Amino acid sequence: MTLALTILVDGISYAAWLFLVSLGLTLVFGVLRLLNVAHGGLYSFGAYSAAFAIGLSLRAGWGTAAQLTVMVLFAAAVGAILSLTIERLVLNRLYHEHETLVLLATYAVFLVLEDLTKLIWGGKSLYANAPRDALGTTQIGALAFPVYDLLLIGVATAAALASGLFLSRTRIGRLVVAVTTDREMSAAMGINVARIMTGIFVAGGLLGALAGALTAPKIAVLPGIGVEMIVLAFAVVVVGGLGSITGAVFAAVIIGLLRAFASHLVPTAEVFVIYAVMTAVLAFRPYGLFSPPVTRKI
Amino acid sequence: MVVTVAAGLMVSAPLFPGWVRYVVQIALAIGLVSLGVMILLRAGLLSFGQGLYYMVGGYSVGFLSRHAGITDAFAATATGIVASAAFAALLGLFIVRYRSIFFAMLTLAVAMIVYGVALKVSLFGGTDGLNVRPTTWLGYAPRGSQLQLTQFQFTVLLTAVLILAARKLLNSRFGKLIEAIHDNELRLEYLGLSVRRSLLAIYVVAGALGGAGGALAAMAARHVDPSFTYWTTSGEFVFVAILGGTGSVFAPFFASFLLEIIRSFAAAWLPDYWQLLLGVMMLALVLLLPRGLWSLARVVQRTFGRTSAPVLLREDART
Repeated sequence: MTLALTILVDGISYAAWLFLVSLGLTLVFGVLRLLNVAHGGLYSFGAYSAAFAIGLSLRAGWGTAAQLTVMVLFAAAVGAILSLTIERLVLNRLYHEHETLVLLATYAVFLVLEDLTKLIWGGKSLYANAPRDALGTTQIGALAFPVYDLLLIGVATAAALASGLFLSRTRIGRLVVAVTTDREMSAAMGINVARIMTGIFVAGGLLGALAGALTAPKIAVLPGIGVEMIVLAFAVVVVGGLGSITGAVFAAVIIGLLRAFASHLVPTAEVFVIYAVMTAVLAFRPYGLFSPPVTRKI
Repeated sequence: MVVTVAAGLMVSAPLFPGWVRYVVQIALAIGLVSLGVMILLRAGLLSFGQGLYYMVGGYSVGFLSRHAGITDAFAATATGIVASAAFAALLGLFIVRYRSIFFAMLTLAVAMIVYGVALKVSLFGGTDGLNVRPTTWLGYAPRGSQLQLTQFQFTVLLTAVLILAARKLLNSRFGKLIEAIHDNELRLEYLGLSVRRSLLAIYVVAGALGGAGGALAAMAARHVDPSFTYWTTSGEFVFVAILGGTGSVFAPFFASFLLEIIRSFAAAWLPDYWQLLLGVMMLALVLLLPRGLWSLARVVQRTFGRTSAPVLLREDART
């Protein structure tokens, strides 16, 4: 019974994290049709900024709530500025190029960002665990579960709902959906496609940095965290159906639960369970769980 | 040209220091795998899991040396190539149904599953991998620097043969068909051609090239480990293929040499920030030479009034 509960709680917690790291990626993929490898770089930048901000606020003697606020605001600002710079300097010039070339460009940006974090913050690991430790743990059944992780599950749920509402209920959200569905037709209808694309890229980068910041208190922030995360996020996006937020939610939950199963019951399978899920899903749903049917154009 | 360059390299090999020969060997091995990626790119398929065949080739050499005591270079590379081709044929049946990002992610997924299994199964030696015994050639068993020299010559020879074969393939009717798949596969189907069978065929060819590269790399490094199929390794092959461009069979080798040179020097001068250097150079290339390094060669060709090579990573109107 306790084992089942542990698996469930671990799985949901991991799913929340997976969803947070892949939300920005799936938005960007939906609108720009581009696999943004640089997302991993924004994630590690977000994590480093968070560790930095928490270090500063600790020295200033602020409370946990203030630490978390400063952390989120700082990481969001860093993410927005960085992704706007990337979009203006690099992507903006490549929108008409072949997708493999754009992929290479974002990979190059990712390499640069990774080393920039080392250049700015050094190669040693940073710790941002102060707020998570301060929040303590709570009892779920027989399980002591960190309050911070519970908070993250709440944040992920709120993010899923908010982005769903944004896309379905607001004017800008509807425009984004239109561009995702058919870019040419949207342009013909008078939507400023270029501006939507820039906006979504910046929003995606901001979400990536935020995901990094929210992860920072749970991990040791060190070089290489972006690499680990980016492939997992890709898998979630592909399993969910490219650009589908509902899909990303389902994919994150499925993968999260199965991974928790694997790590408690078959630890040897933990390394590749996510890839096994991806292969299995794509074998039966070639375009992912929640993707619109694609018409072949002659 | 291939024959001249290869013969020149083989004859002048004793003049180079050992580390230069080693760098060239690794660059050629990576170039071979990337050539496979490039051939798939011509058909519009981006394989993010070519490391799998690199690993199959490498472990063929490793297993033969460890379990069968066979260290013969010809037998080992032949086994590597055949094993990779067989793997590719099997996997290809499933995988060539997919396109674009789904193809890329599935190739990646399979390679990563193999990586995960290889880490845990003791047969593969875990993260430490397997050591490979010194190579022999039909009973000829050199030692020390002579061994490395012979290995170098063998690598150059095999690479030259495979480049010539690949060029013949790409210039054939079948090679043109591959490019046509990239342009519009539905029309090809209407013409009565089997897109799926053609893609399977080039997937096997790409796998075989990957196996050859893996076998050569394992013999050169005298070592093979599961990181051969890790996704960053596969990513490097993609990087080399796109960096070179799809204009010519030489392009991947051009790019892999450049990469190995940058890596060697950057690792010596900027050990902590060589990714930064690499990233900046890549960005400069992508923004200034979007058709790959090979387009430099085209500029030269045009200057001398020759016809231009085909270019495939062109601007599709995919906006």
